Amino acid sequence: MSSIRVEDLSIKFRIYHDRSPSLKEYFANLFKRQRPTAYSDFWAVKDVCFEITAGDRVGIIGHNGAGKSTLLKALCRVYESSDGKISVAGRIAPLLEIGAGFHPEFTGRENIYLNGAILGYSKQQLNAIEQEVITFAGLEEFIDTPVKYYSTGMYTRLAFSLATAMHPDILVLDEIFAGGDAAFMAKAKARMHDLIDKANIMIMVSHDHLLVKSLCNRVLWMDHGKLVADGPPEEIVERYLAGKLDG
Amino acid sequence: MIKADDRSFFGELFNSRNVLQQLVAQQLILRYRRTALGYLWTLINPLLMMSVMAVVFSALFKADLKTFTVFLFAGMIPWNFFNSAVTQSGSSFINNEGLIKKIYLPKIVFPLSVAVALVIDSVLSFLALFAIIILIGGSLSWAVLFTPIAYLLLFLFALGISLIVSITTVFFRDLQHVILIAMQGLFFLTPILYQHDALVGRVGWVVGLNPVVPFIELFRAPLYMATLPSAGVIMHATVLACLAMAVGLVVFRRHEKKIVFRL
Repeated sequence: MSSIRVEDLSIKFRIYHDRSPSLKEYFANLFKRQRPTAYSDFWAVKDVCFEITAGDRVGIIGHNGAGKSTLLKALCRVYESSDGKISVAGRIAPLLEIGAGFHPEFTGRENIYLNGAILGYSKQQLNAIEQEVITFAGLEEFIDTPVKYYSTGMYTRLAFSLATAMHPDILVLDEIFAGGDAAFMAKAKARMHDLIDKANIMIMVSHDHLLVKSLCNRVLWMDHGKLVADGPPEEIVERYLAGKLDG
Repeated sequence: MIKADDRSFFGELFNSRNVLQQLVAQQLILRYRRTALGYLWTLINPLLMMSVMAVVFSALFKADLKTFTVFLFAGMIPWNFFNSAVTQSGSSFINNEGLIKKIYLPKIVFPLSVAVALVIDSVLSFLALFAIIILIGGSLSWAVLFTPIAYLLLFLFALGISLIVSITTVFFRDLQHVILIAMQGLFFLTPILYQHDALVGRVGWVVGLNPVVPFIELFRAPLYMATLPSAGVIMHATVLACLAMAVGLVVFRRHEKKIVFRL
């Protein structure tokens, strides 16, 4: 059974003021008692606590810059917590950025192996899914062409097919994928829903409130790095749209 | 996919061997893709460079070309590996910024893949050196069987320093340029073009402190002198290699989690 526990999670970024001092200023500052700080701290996520258990379909909503994506990246271990703790049980699949790690000079087939390795697939798994990925992406003809010659659609089709080829216990989505032509989008949507159905836990960030209401059974509302509400989708989304913190 | 139960440093590295292998292949393949001679450039480039040096410096030092060539190559091959490992690892995180910010991978795979790809290049040019020694009528002794151990020690030493350089460069970008200059200086302070005892006086003392010297000796003794390196040199190199790895790993593990915030 998969589960996620987040205790008092805080993530701090340092914002470096983009002004490198001249050599003269640098030496002048050495002798000053109070040096101007070269950076300021920014808490992208602050004191967030929640627990997700098997069967949960969690949607995270909030305005831009509320810390939603940072929170997802922390769950996938891209960002180390500055404070607090995250414990994850189960295999977690990062579907944050589809196509991260594709190399433009490599052919489609080579990228399946390169990107697949980055996604954590073993060589045997990749051998097994290679053909299925190519067929699903509809790239039989171009699979041995370097991906830098691919159209945007071909590129996203390959990346999507590869990223969704395996069923993870915990599925983490940053906005649901939409790309390619109409025929592919229909196929992709079906595959995505299948993936969500089979996942033990699903966490998604989305600005599409209808989608959140239809896919999730729980919604977290983030505001300025803090978790401000946690509850059933209908209620939280309504409150969020109304802009009210307390219902 | 990340499994939650394999978070120990080395366990995680072992689980990432597939990524490591792909990153190494990427570096070996990509450099010469779409060139007519392809991977052969990896061999031709240093061999031509070293040949020019051999001709010029054997004339300058009035040495026999044949013996000087073997002498020079035996020193240049380990140096070239060490030099490129240290200079290229500096940009290993910066070049992979896009990946590091998007997906979790054990950070050590980036500098490690650079070092592994370079050691493969180096071993191949070493084999080419073999061919040249035989072609120009030199003789090889059984002592060459020591070179795998020499490579292992050199690899550990270079990797240890690469780990420190790769992390430090993320925090101080100027280091990339400083390293290039420092390595050039170090080249002339290492007995590669000249015999170890050729420099005397104050400069000779500096050469005595140079940590690269025993590693050059590990290669030069079997190839040029046709003997095993002395026990003292082997000990010296082993201690330096272990020390570099120990310090490298400590520095790396202390700071690897901050990298993503500073890219």
